[in-house]
Amino acid sequence: MSALLSIEGLKMYYDTQKGSVKAVDGVSFQLKKGESLGLVGESGCGKTSVAMSIMRLLAENARIISGHIYFDGKDLLTLSEKEMNKVRWKGISMIFQAAMNSLNPVYRVGDQIIEAIITHEPEVTFEQARERVKALYELVGLDPGRMDHYPHEYSGGMKQRAIIAMSLACNPQLIIADEPTTALDVIVQDMILREMARIQKKLNMSMIYISHDIAVIAEVAEKIAIMYAGKIVEFSDSKTIFKQPRHPYTIGLMSSFPSIRGSKKPLVTIPGEPPNLLNPPKGCRFAPRCPFATNVCLEKEPPYKEIDKEHFIACWHPQGVKRGAEDKDA
Amino acid sequence: MGKYIGKRLFQIVILLVIYIAVVFFILHAMPGGMKALFISNPRLTPEAQQAILKAFGLDKPPLTQFLIYMRNSFTLNFGVSFSHYPTPVWEIIKERLPRTALLFITATIISFLIGFHSGKVLAWKRGKAVEYVSTIGGVVAYTIFTPVLAFLLIWFFGAYLRLFPLNQFLNPDLWANTSFSSQVIFLRLLLTASIIGAVILVALILSYRLSHNIRSRRLIFYIPTISSVVIAVFIWWKSPYGIYGADILWHMVLPVVEVTIISYAGIMLVMRDSMLETVKEDFITTARAKGLPDRVVRDKHAARTALLPVITNFIISLGFTLSGGIITETLFSWPGMGLAMYEAVISHDYPLAAGCLIFTGIFVLFAHLVVDIVYAFLDPRIRY
Repeated sequence: MSALLSIEGLKMYYDTQKGSVKAVDGVSFQLKKGESLGLVGESGCGKTSVAMSIMRLLAENARIISGHIYFDGKDLLTLSEKEMNKVRWKGISMIFQAAMNSLNPVYRVGDQIIEAIITHEPEVTFEQARERVKALYELVGLDPGRMDHYPHEYSGGMKQRAIIAMSLACNPQLIIADEPTTALDVIVQDMILREMARIQKKLNMSMIYISHDIAVIAEVAEKIAIMYAGKIVEFSDSKTIFKQPRHPYTIGLMSSFPSIRGSKKPLVTIPGEPPNLLNPPKGCRFAPRCPFATNVCLEKEPPYKEIDKEHFIACWHPQGVKRGAEDKDA
Repeated sequence: MGKYIGKRLFQIVILLVIYIAVVFFILHAMPGGMKALFISNPRLTPEAQQAILKAFGLDKPPLTQFLIYMRNSFTLNFGVSFSHYPTPVWEIIKERLPRTALLFITATIISFLIGFHSGKVLAWKRGKAVEYVSTIGGVVAYTIFTPVLAFLLIWFFGAYLRLFPLNQFLNPDLWANTSFSSQVIFLRLLLTASIIGAVILVALILSYRLSHNIRSRRLIFYIPTISSVVIAVFIWWKSPYGIYGADILWHMVLPVVEVTIISYAGIMLVMRDSMLETVKEDFITTARAKGLPDRVVRDKHAARTALLPVITNFIISLGFTLSGGIITETLFSWPGMGLAMYEAVISHDYPLAAGCLIFTGIFVLFAHLVVDIVYAFLDPRIRY
């Protein structure tokens, strides 16, 4: 099966008065049809910038320096704005970070979904579109009677569900969910994520989840890409990432989240701060914070290579240790 | 909605009582008090003085006087004008109010439409030369001293180009031999404008109710709008009054331009600002991500939401526009409420001045009511 989405060497910089902020610096990954990928990293590591590059919804001062984004065989970066508008929502739809504010307050929620349907499928009548919204509401667990209500009449969880319904409106091949549940409480968060995973399986769509919370992502995504300072440092299926993380940063991330079932142990935080992307370190970007760093790490950038089957990593000193103690307890 | 309008009307009545009380207080605070102001005019005969004294209870204690004044105000009895003796104040206001209303409503609608659209387009073209030039132009128009603008307009269009007449609201030579008064024609003009306005409003509402397709919506809106205008022009053209109506409209152009320029700039600047804020909102990103054409994102999503603060600002500025109206009407000799008030003040015609003051207040309060109702339609978050 060939890849639905293939990103090759994407570099996207923000021009600021102080210079270029290298927000995305050589990101490559592939996503097959029906597959779900989790993009994980700290705030400001470029996750959202990758998503916005795919949608071509970048801020005015953002510049794509190089790279290709192939979606369904077409390079999105070469399309005209008009052609891109056809890909948006019909090919790739998106669930935004701030779902609370993603709906226009002055229009009925149902009408905002219908708008997307009719824009992309002009042959659909208003009544047919309403029927489809009704079905979508049922799919995401909302009362179809609420489609004529305004966003302020919805609760946070309902808005999130409505936005998921909206993202499904045109049967896209890929949905990018950027921190889809960050604004919700933990119980609703879990419900919504399971719902999304269920719908994704049912409709056989591809999905990119973006989150800073690796534990949340691991539940729903088949593959995980760990981003650090504008680069992907480790990429594999979520099981491998969880059981056998090889990159020191991934290992650090794992131990900075509590395990509910595991034994009580102090959470280990990663010392230091992510580098300033205006002027990133010369070698490995994680080297200044890495306990295993040597001279080569500070001097030369590690190549991004496959060390195991479907397990990519960018590190001079991959760590082979299993997270033994915790696994035994679990 | 009906309940809300009822509630607002009730509030307006309370505000009006307070407002009239303030006017009453001001009249009493003047040298000599209200008694001196209302009857101390050499033109009044002793009988007339007695009549006014009795009608306003000016020989009674202040509280009784206040209640009588309140009752008189609500029954439109404002006394007799000194300068137009013996015309009652209400007769003068009845004649002048429609003229001011037409002038301001026309200017407001034009400035709102232009200001809204230009502010919207400018914000969308942020950073381009057009934006800087227009914004600076807007700030100049917003801060210009009203009389200076009036003099510029009078000099350029009236005296230099001789495109527009300079004085009054009609051409006396033309009207010399007519059997009807100018007021008759003026009221018919006002009636025509109201009918066209109502048709446009109904067409707008129907276009949204009946159709979900942009093209058919436009048809439903534009066909009645254009045809009502064409029919109105045709009827005036064929009727013997056509030339007189045109004469009044011709005289109206410059004052309307003046008021339009002054209120346009404010609306444009606020709209531009509000639009710049709105485009940063997440739902604009959503609209773009949905693959909507640029124009739809701008007009349907950004401008529609950005409109709300503009309307709030507009309510606040209404009072200022009216006070600017006194200057405009005086400089263009447009015989409306503003000019009547100015003349009344200059000639110590206190009953007329007080009457004009009260009616200006009523006008502003009702304008607020209209804007509040419009706002409730535009913002679904406001429910009553």
